[in-house]
Amino acid sequence: MENFLLKNIDNPNSADIAEYEQAGGYKNLSKALGIKPKDVLDEVKASGLRGRGGAGFPTGMKWTFATADPKFPKYLMCNADEGEPGTFKDRPILEKNPHLLIEGMAISGYALGAEYGHIYLRGEYPEAGDILNSAINQANEKNYLGENILGKGIKFKLSVHMGAGAYICGEETALIESIEGKKGQPRNKPPFPVNVGAWGMPTIVNNVETLSNVPYIIEIGGENYAKIGSSECPGPKLFSVSGCVNKPGVYELPMGTTLQDIIYNHAGGMRNGKKLKAVIPGGISTPVLPADAIDCAMDFVAMPKAGSMLGSGAVIVMDEDVCMVKVTYRALKFFEHESCGKCVPCREGTDWLRKILERIENGKGTQGDIELLSDVAGIMSGKTFCPLGDGAAGVVMGMIKHFRSEFEEHIKEGKCTF
Amino acid sequence: MAVRFELIMFNETVINEINGIRKKYPDRRSALLPSLYIAQREFGWLSLKAMSCVAKALNLPEADVRGTASFYSMFKHNPVGRNVIQLCTNVSCMILGAEKLVDFLKSKYGVHPNGTSEDGRFSLVIMECIGACGTAPAMLVNTDFHDELSESRIEEILEKYK
Amino acid sequence: MITLTINNKEISLEQPMTVLEASRQAGIKIPTLCYFEALKPYGGCRLCVVEVERMPRLQTACTLMVADGMVIQTESDTISEVRRGILEFLLINHPLDCPYCDKAGECELQDLVNKYGPAVGRHKEEKRKVPESHKDQILARNMERCVACTRCVRMCSDVQGASAISMMGRGNDTRMEPFSADSFNCEYCGNCLTVCPVGAILSRLYLHSFRPWQVDREVDTVCSYCGVGCSLTVQVRDDSIKRVIPKEGKGLNKGLLCSRGRFGYEYIGSDDRLTTPLVRKNGKLEPATWTEALEIVADKLQGIRKESGGVSIAGIASPRCSNEDNYLFQKFMRMTCGTNNIDSISRTGYGAAQKYFEDLLGQGITSNLIDGLKNSEAIVVLGGDPTSINPILGLSIREAARRGAQIAVIGNAKGLERFKTLQITAPVFEEAAVLESLLAQVFASKGERGEHAFLDRGIADMAAGTSTVSDVKGLDDLKKILLESPSTSIVFGTDLVQRSDGHRSLFAVSGLTYLLEARLYLLSEKANEQGVIDAGCVPDMLPGGRPLHIEDFKKKFEMLWKDSLPDFKGKTLMEIIEGARTGDIKALYIMGENPVFNLPDAKYVKEALDSLDFLVVQDIFLSETAELADVVLPALGWAERTGTVTNLERRIQVQKKAVETSAGMEDWRIISEISGKMGYKMEYKDSEDIMDELAQVSPLYRDLTYKEIDRGKSIWPYHGEPLRGAEISEIPAGEEVQSGNGADYYLAVDRPLFHSGTLSRRSPALTKIMPEPVLRISAASAEKLGLTDGDRVNVTTSAGSSETVVVVDDSITDNRVYMGNNFKDRGACRLLNFRLDSVTKAPGIEGCGVTIEKR
Ligand SMILES: Cc1cc2nc3c(=O)[nH]c(=O)nc-3n(C[C@H](O)[C@H](O)[C@H](O)COP(=O)(O)O)c2cc1C
Ligand code: SF4
Ligand code: FES
Repeated sequence: MENFLLKNIDNPNSADIAEYEQAGGYKNLSKALGIKPKDVLDEVKASGLRGRGGAGFPTGMKWTFATADPKFPKYLMCNADEGEPGTFKDRPILEKNPHLLIEGMAISGYALGAEYGHIYLRGEYPEAGDILNSAINQANEKNYLGENILGKGIKFKLSVHMGAGAYICGEETALIESIEGKKGQPRNKPPFPVNVGAWGMPTIVNNVETLSNVPYIIEIGGENYAKIGSSECPGPKLFSVSGCVNKPGVYELPMGTTLQDIIYNHAGGMRNGKKLKAVIPGGISTPVLPADAIDCAMDFVAMPKAGSMLGSGAVIVMDEDVCMVKVTYRALKFFEHESCGKCVPCREGTDWLRKILERIENGKGTQGDIELLSDVAGIMSGKTFCPLGDGAAGVVMGMIKHFRSEFEEHIKEGKCTF
Repeated sequence: MAVRFELIMFNETVINEINGIRKKYPDRRSALLPSLYIAQREFGWLSLKAMSCVAKALNLPEADVRGTASFYSMFKHNPVGRNVIQLCTNVSCMILGAEKLVDFLKSKYGVHPNGTSEDGRFSLVIMECIGACGTAPAMLVNTDFHDELSESRIEEILEKYK
Repeated sequence: MITLTINNKEISLEQPMTVLEASRQAGIKIPTLCYFEALKPYGGCRLCVVEVERMPRLQTACTLMVADGMVIQTESDTISEVRRGILEFLLINHPLDCPYCDKAGECELQDLVNKYGPAVGRHKEEKRKVPESHKDQILARNMERCVACTRCVRMCSDVQGASAISMMGRGNDTRMEPFSADSFNCEYCGNCLTVCPVGAILSRLYLHSFRPWQVDREVDTVCSYCGVGCSLTVQVRDDSIKRVIPKEGKGLNKGLLCSRGRFGYEYIGSDDRLTTPLVRKNGKLEPATWTEALEIVADKLQGIRKESGGVSIAGIASPRCSNEDNYLFQKFMRMTCGTNNIDSISRTGYGAAQKYFEDLLGQGITSNLIDGLKNSEAIVVLGGDPTSINPILGLSIREAARRGAQIAVIGNAKGLERFKTLQITAPVFEEAAVLESLLAQVFASKGERGEHAFLDRGIADMAAGTSTVSDVKGLDDLKKILLESPSTSIVFGTDLVQRSDGHRSLFAVSGLTYLLEARLYLLSEKANEQGVIDAGCVPDMLPGGRPLHIEDFKKKFEMLWKDSLPDFKGKTLMEIIEGARTGDIKALYIMGENPVFNLPDAKYVKEALDSLDFLVVQDIFLSETAELADVVLPALGWAERTGTVTNLERRIQVQKKAVETSAGMEDWRIISEISGKMGYKMEYKDSEDIMDELAQVSPLYRDLTYKEIDRGKSIWPYHGEPLRGAEISEIPAGEEVQSGNGADYYLAVDRPLFHSGTLSRRSPALTKIMPEPVLRISAASAEKLGLTDGDRVNVTTSAGSSETVVVVDDSITDNRVYMGNNFKDRGACRLLNFRLDSVTKAPGIEGCGVTIEKR
């Protein structure tokens, strides 16, 4: 398959508008503006595109809810918070192919009747911020953005909003709170952002990769797009592969490519000839899979059946030398650090889980600690305000399920066995 | 006297910058995060004074400004050294040895996590994932990105930051 | 109609609401922690989880809206287990220091754990250790106990609008802190104390001094401070007030209080209280027995009446005293002493405005429900800061702002700084001209309203004679707002009455009220400013606002009171003082007032009182005025006696006796004893007995009883229609005076949030919050004068000088400097000169140009 999302990124000037235009860029915008917004929306619906931010919600459906709400103005938010550990797939688009995102947002804004767009960019990507800002300036100058896009009387204004180091701001309602100048704590749903979002208005939050797929859908048509990859969640997908492989990196592959294929064919197989032990398939919030479970298709439908989730498609590969207790402990440190503090089960639970894991990893674990871990995770699971706390519980439960013996050994030996 | 106003108020250029940002949003509160970045740039860190200036410039309650600022880990609530090292130790970086690098920074530069070296040259912040897992381990020094780190690479890189 | 099933019980609802609300309505209890009725649902604690059929996860009842056909279980084994689990989580860091914690016995966490467990926790590591912070004088902060429900923060920002605290940090590190991390430096409403479910925020006034279950009694009563009249509950042990709390949802304040109401009660138990009558002997005040003191007063008044007639006797009543006290006081003055020279401090502001408005627009024109303010779409605030004069009323304005109302401030109002949408700076002494100009512009657009011919004509005449003030910024915008707003309220503070041309402002505001069909609110500093008028403590009106000059009314009262009424035109407050100075007034009886301190130009007032033959002061403290008296009679104070007060909406409420004291006697009892000795019998069992008489003689209170008042039924008009419409058919013309004296800075009397009159300075808590007078000045003035926060300065006018501390205040936009009138020897009033407004007879403040020098 030819790259679309990562097209041209080896070109050192790929972020420049001239290069982008040279490669056919912004033609899809002009094509989209030639048809009615409703028709653009129908193409996206027909494409079967599902959100690439992690939850896999059908994009066409989200857009339909937003357009059905009569309130105006509407806001289009690009979720560029990319905070899920292991994930670095949006970054090449933001830094190397910013005009693809801009074009995608301009088309989406048109389809949605949104005149304002904001890119919520994580604070850890300052360079991407500079690149995006100059790309937006170029696009404004060339009337791909602004008050009168391509002379068609269409308005779409775009700006970049820097986050400041809070993973939870990737959650869409927290993102909205954060743009509004507040703490990034999730809001109660319903009402959903498509009805009551930023500044009380209908707001559509989509991931960078999701929006970057839109020009492609316009280019080849929704029906053709739907034929790529998995039938229930089609399209190209970016996988960020890291850990103990020979060729870590971001790969653009059809949705539904198997984990096996990703690790061994694309990422060059295991480093230093070591044995594969486990894979976290979709970013740290998704449950771990043992080595014998990697023959599964990476998409939003197959992964839950395999006992995990596609998440952001961030594949973290671990070999035989990696201590799973330590990984779990580190993951919980992350969740504890990133818990927003709003709800009790997550705020207190992540802290407690981290403490138990810390003592097991440091050889201070006691009999009953594994049950306690399960219990604490059980209290959290399904009771937290947002999926962050749920994810933390799921990580612990998954690790115990597949690697219980490692935990037991730590406790028995009174030390880390790696 | 005038002291109070010189110290507590942003100068006009900054006020204009903030007013420019305000125009991007439908309400004044939304300009808070960008304004806090500006205050951090102007004062080096977010002292009470710095946050008070932001509160005044946006006519927001001071406690609210501080509450919001303190939620975000990239805002500095204590004075920092001349250069801030933000090193990732999350799983992908950890697997590839990030923790050893923390030890290296401690022994070689005398800088501890959330601390500043005695000479004021470096501050160290342990980061959650900074999106460089494919080229782990990685760090930001101020706003510059560095990856595929090893002890020797760190030495080489930090040479440039005095 | 929504029908749903909760715990197998079918429930029908007219309106959408949350599952929690629906359950509570149906009498089904669901445990909660982060939920608080007056606050928006938060959904953080997760204790209110319930099972809903066809929903995969447990749902939080506090956030879930009911839907038709829902089937809900609020208790089950699964649910109990979850609740136990969550409580176990909460106890990870919560210290089990209940024996030492003030909250024990009324702690929501304690109750929940008691019900759901766990009996023991499994957390092995150390608990979080944070020392209790006592860096604030009033509030203690214990962050070990905090459960991060954020109720305090939400109360502070969403209801109080102060936003003085926030949750700092995030995740498990979250802690509540004020901006500075030590002192709260806030409005000290203490409403965070009400909402804290655990012992994380505590009042230092009673820290470790009793347990909630150890109070001897609880009395529901009404606050003694301002004209709002908040409901509050006094908790008493050993006949001393242990604490004052509001009751959730109760009273017009709906469970909220301000700093004065909550923390200002200690004056009642002050060591400075007068405990025995004092009689001047050889130039010195000496303790005396009641019999001796009362007899001296009776003899002296009797003698002076005989010698010089009732005209030479005068009385000053009190807006701090009850309706019953004031009613008896004026009856005593009129019937026993034979004089119409009765007035009160209300004359200097509230009373003067009230009379003007009612004369022009009809009785009851200012009797609007405070709660209604929040529904206004435009609110004009002028002549004072409602959030400090009447804090709970101020909250309604803030709420209106949150609901999107336009808030226009004419002048300065610090408490509305973040809520106003428009501010108009009217130059000192030109306020009336600005208001007239506004009225003329509104009139030009709207034309006559056609309800009252004389008022339409008056406005037209005024408009014709007014040149538009063109250089006042924002006036056009305000006009536009007013013309577009379907519901406008005007909140009038009495600063504008205190001008020698105050009547012009009053006319302009009357005109605006009339043309815009606005609701008019009159701010009232003291608890019973309305009541003192309604009880008849004005020279020209009998109880119920019955004009004395109307023969029928006079006759009726003479019949009821069984003697003839004095027949001459009585003097108003400042005329009484002037009368004392010239010798026309020989005896003055002051009940609960301190003219030497509270009236402008202390030197002049003192001179006048010194010239009297006989001065009686009845008070609870030896005030500056009492020090000059021939006889001082100790009275009972708030919480020591029962009596009614009338608030600024004209709602009558009962202030109830809560503590027993031997310090003094009820004001009314002292008066009736003296009256008896002077030969006019006044025999009453108690204050209720007096109310029964008042309800008989005053048509305003027709048939009103304590019982009815207690049921909350006593809102104007108490029974049926208002008594009278606009009374006059001509706009009273006053002298046009030019007051400006070209000073660089003008002194204005501040009405601080933390003090009220001189009572509050005897309340240690309030003096801790604000220990000395401050001078609030604008940033521009500070810059010009080379001053900064905390500088000590001398403020000097032609009448005197005072030392104070500078506070730079960004909300001030002009060259006014503000100083309160609360602290001994350092009040603002004594620095002011005055000239009477020829219409209202209120003292207009003059000669308030000041110089400010750094010490
Ligand atoms: C804790 C949490 C973190 C999230 N972080 C991100 C993120 O970094 N980037 C992102 O695109 N979506 C993130 N999401 C998903 C968003 O809430 C949302 O589903 C997404 O932005 C929708 O866009 P999509 O439909 O295009 O995927 C996160 C969700 C949760 C619960
Ligand atoms: S689960 Fe609760 S505490 Fe955790 S991030 Fe979500 S809302 Fe915040
Ligand atoms: S009361 Fe519902 S979550 Fe706290």
